Amino acid sequence: MARTKSISKNSNLSKYLAYTFLIVLCVIWAVPLLFGITTSFRSQTEVVSVGFRMLPVDWVVENYIATLENTSTAPIMQWLFNSIFIATIHATLVVVMVSITAYGYTRLKFKGRDFLFFTLLGISLFPGVVNLIPSYKIIDVLGWVNTPWAMIFPGLAGMGNLFLVRQFMVGIPKELDECAKIDGAGDWTIFYKIILPLVRPVLIVVFLFSFTGSWNDFLWPVIVYTDVERMPVTAGLLLLQDIYGNYRMIGQLMSSAILAIIPTLLLFLFAQKYFIQSMNLNAGIKG
Amino acid sequence: MREKLISLLVLVFLVSLTLSGCGGSSSNGGSGGKTDEKTITFWTPLTGDDGAYMDEMVKAYNATNPKFKVKHVVTSDMYTKIFTVMNSGKGIPDLAIIHADRVPGFVDKDMLEPLTDIMSAQPSINADNYIPQAWNAGTVNGTQYTVPLDIHSNAMYYNKDLLEQYGVSNFLDDNVITFDEMLSLKGKLKKGDYVVNDALISWVILAQIQNLGGDIKDANENPTVNTPEMKQAIEEIKKISDAGLMTPYGEDGYLMFQSGHVLFSTDGTWTSTAHAQVKGLNFGVTNIYSFDPAVFHNRASSHMFAMLKNDARSDEKEKGIADFLEWVRNNSIKWAEAGQIVASKVVFDSPEYQKYIQSFFTSSEAETNSLYIYTYKYYPEVQEALDTYSADMVHGKLDIDKGLKQAQKFVDDKIKEDTSGKSKK
Amino acid sequence: MKKFNLKPAIFIGPHLIFFIVFGLLPSLYGIYASFTQWDLVSDPVWVGLDNYKTILFDKDSTFSYQFYNGLKNTFVFVVASVPFLIIIPLLVAAALENKGVKLKGLFQAILYVPGLISASAAALIWGLIFNAQLGFTSNVFGMDIPWAANQPYAWIIILILTIWGGIGGNLIIYRASISGIDKSLYEAAEIDGANKFQKFINVTLPSIRFPLLYTFVMTTAGCFNVFVQPLMMTRGGPNQSTTVLMMYIRDLAFTSGSSIAGMASAMAVLLGIVILIISIFQYVLMMRNSN
Repeated sequence: MARTKSISKNSNLSKYLAYTFLIVLCVIWAVPLLFGITTSFRSQTEVVSVGFRMLPVDWVVENYIATLENTSTAPIMQWLFNSIFIATIHATLVVVMVSITAYGYTRLKFKGRDFLFFTLLGISLFPGVVNLIPSYKIIDVLGWVNTPWAMIFPGLAGMGNLFLVRQFMVGIPKELDECAKIDGAGDWTIFYKIILPLVRPVLIVVFLFSFTGSWNDFLWPVIVYTDVERMPVTAGLLLLQDIYGNYRMIGQLMSSAILAIIPTLLLFLFAQKYFIQSMNLNAGIKG
Repeated sequence: MREKLISLLVLVFLVSLTLSGCGGSSSNGGSGGKTDEKTITFWTPLTGDDGAYMDEMVKAYNATNPKFKVKHVVTSDMYTKIFTVMNSGKGIPDLAIIHADRVPGFVDKDMLEPLTDIMSAQPSINADNYIPQAWNAGTVNGTQYTVPLDIHSNAMYYNKDLLEQYGVSNFLDDNVITFDEMLSLKGKLKKGDYVVNDALISWVILAQIQNLGGDIKDANENPTVNTPEMKQAIEEIKKISDAGLMTPYGEDGYLMFQSGHVLFSTDGTWTSTAHAQVKGLNFGVTNIYSFDPAVFHNRASSHMFAMLKNDARSDEKEKGIADFLEWVRNNSIKWAEAGQIVASKVVFDSPEYQKYIQSFFTSSEAETNSLYIYTYKYYPEVQEALDTYSADMVHGKLDIDKGLKQAQKFVDDKIKEDTSGKSKK
Repeated sequence: MKKFNLKPAIFIGPHLIFFIVFGLLPSLYGIYASFTQWDLVSDPVWVGLDNYKTILFDKDSTFSYQFYNGLKNTFVFVVASVPFLIIIPLLVAAALENKGVKLKGLFQAILYVPGLISASAAALIWGLIFNAQLGFTSNVFGMDIPWAANQPYAWIIILILTIWGGIGGNLIIYRASISGIDKSLYEAAEIDGANKFQKFINVTLPSIRFPLLYTFVMTTAGCFNVFVQPLMMTRGGPNQSTTVLMMYIRDLAFTSGSSIAGMASAMAVLLGIVILIISIFQYVLMMRNSN
């Protein structure tokens, strides 16, 4: 009797601890976020004169109107569309390629397999500052300047997502493969029917990460695009600085920053649902 | 068999995807390599609202149905982009706007095309029709490389209401605020109010160098940062900070001016439009503070039209560029809306221009002469050194002698690495 | 079996090709550039090991100062931020695994969304919060600290900005990995009388060691590359005490005067070597611990 009581007391205590921790953290995290959102509804006058107030004294929509109206020099809707196009294709390609490649590095045996993988990883850790120029030259040779392909393809070389998926695949027991092999399955079948479903949560994460990664890249698009209308949104937002690189119209910056995260936010909320579903599906498979 | 088939399919899929990208002219627009023969590609670093004004001017020009239309591309990080395309040799714009302090460096690296053909095609584009410093900033060894669009200067805004409140509106009588006048307010300000901020402090220092009769180079064209004039300038400004009259280190002085707590803000001519958006801020513009009302300078730079060396640009197109530049000379009143000091004489002499706040800087010969553009080849390095060290020195975080030594070394070391003349492309 | 096995080539081939073209080639050029003087416009001029000699051994050189100061500040930043960026999301993921907790999605979303906001907007928000006149800390808490002007406050505001936006990614990874842990392992531990804490240390952590290693290595490497947060919050001050190495590198390469890209590349290569050594160290440490 005493044992069950202490177990349930234990779990109640831990539940309350968890809740407290989460709530405190989320309050700290949410306050600046809300402040950013409400600032987007403030006029510059209010931003500079009123001390910290969560809610604006005067709610104004002029920041949003100014941002959306500016279709010649700052066409934010066009930028959002470009970003969505680029990021979606990029993320899809990444998921396809990374899952296949990670399978190759974990399930197939060949000489120098791990050495090759970690060498590539090591090379990718080098900060590439002046890589901009040779990268541009390569893009130029391929004829991709000023096209979305310059944004979509180079990122496929990335090692980060590959490393992540590899780490998950390494953790999948080899016995599952053995069972399938005994049934006569070849590598593609094992990959498609066994491994892929098990890494689905991670692949959703990879999609999310590569989508947002592509979305948030700002220096490369500036170099690669010469047409303002073709730029993705994060690079486009740089055009809102004044000529000496400062953001002066604070409310307007906030409104454009918020408009810029709406697609990625929606993707995250959607992915979250799907992601939680997949995790529940996986829960029964081990053992 | 099934395995091999799937492998093949995947390979074909990936290869065809890549090839479709290589095709270049995809549904999302053509490749960037081909430039329209009838279009002048025009790159500017005019981000923000300024870009919108330039856009309007370009639109107005294109509406006159010229032989060569202009395509305006605003870009952040324009110089990185320029270096990238100059290095690759392709995709170089036909026309660009660059800053005055880039001119000597670019000429040294053989990046700019002289404008002699443009000037013969349109004879009104000459030294007489522009503010002298702006025109001269584009002259290197007797050859003209640029045509100025504007001068954008360090400018000091003042808060009319605060000046009245503290009874010092008379400071503006001679249009020059002096160090002594500012120091006289020591101990007289309410808590939270300040006399001046430290916006663009390096530009302010550079103006003081001129006020003190110094320079940033010696007779042999070597950069001189660690000079008595530099030391004096920084010490004097530090006095203002020590007296508690300057906005504190790390605070955004620009925002504090907008919030009505600072009497003077030393920012730039281009920010007048932003200040105007703050309701309740009654402001005016005057010169940067100085030691003596008779000797004052405002450190300025200039947006200049320049042609990067580009083999793909035809002579015909260059004539089209000349036409555009001449049009701008006559019609750049639009640019005044951005708060900039328009360089074209016919514009800044016009009565319409006088209603803009920055016309202050062309309101008299003394004013026009106060606009000082540094044309020294290593100016960018000197300014970078000041940007790195001066704030710390002014606010007492770094000993001035030590700081100036480091700043001098900073510039000297950078110049040693300059490869101009060592290798030609 | 001397037959060349095509299968691995098909699986890892496409990625390898992309890597060679878009990853290796530019990096090799970057390494080549480190042995030259280069202003980005004209051709690089070969100078051999001069850049490295200057950076590492010339005590008077500005570049040497920049390298060592930048490296020192970078280390401070990494050591200060990585623990938070790993431990906080780990604890959150563990808390969210607790069956009794509702609204998991909401908690997760609130902690993840700040990472989606552009770095400059985020820096502006936090800049306003810490603003002496208009900010939260002075008006609500009455703090009179000039944040950006003094240490350790300058580092504190940079860290807060970084952690605010930085835990989302690791949180998702930990949730994905913790959710996949076999429940029977927990049951076995309970039978042995383990409490929640012991279960966490002895079951959860070892079970997610591979993803944990991933986040440890990648977060650290990522922090070595950071430059936006210090740039926007403190501009590298006071007195260059928050200028991280990446800031110096970018300044040298993309400056307003003549670009000093060769020196910048040399610094980048050195930084890369440091990151590599630390990553290898981390990997060995974690793989050894898991046994």
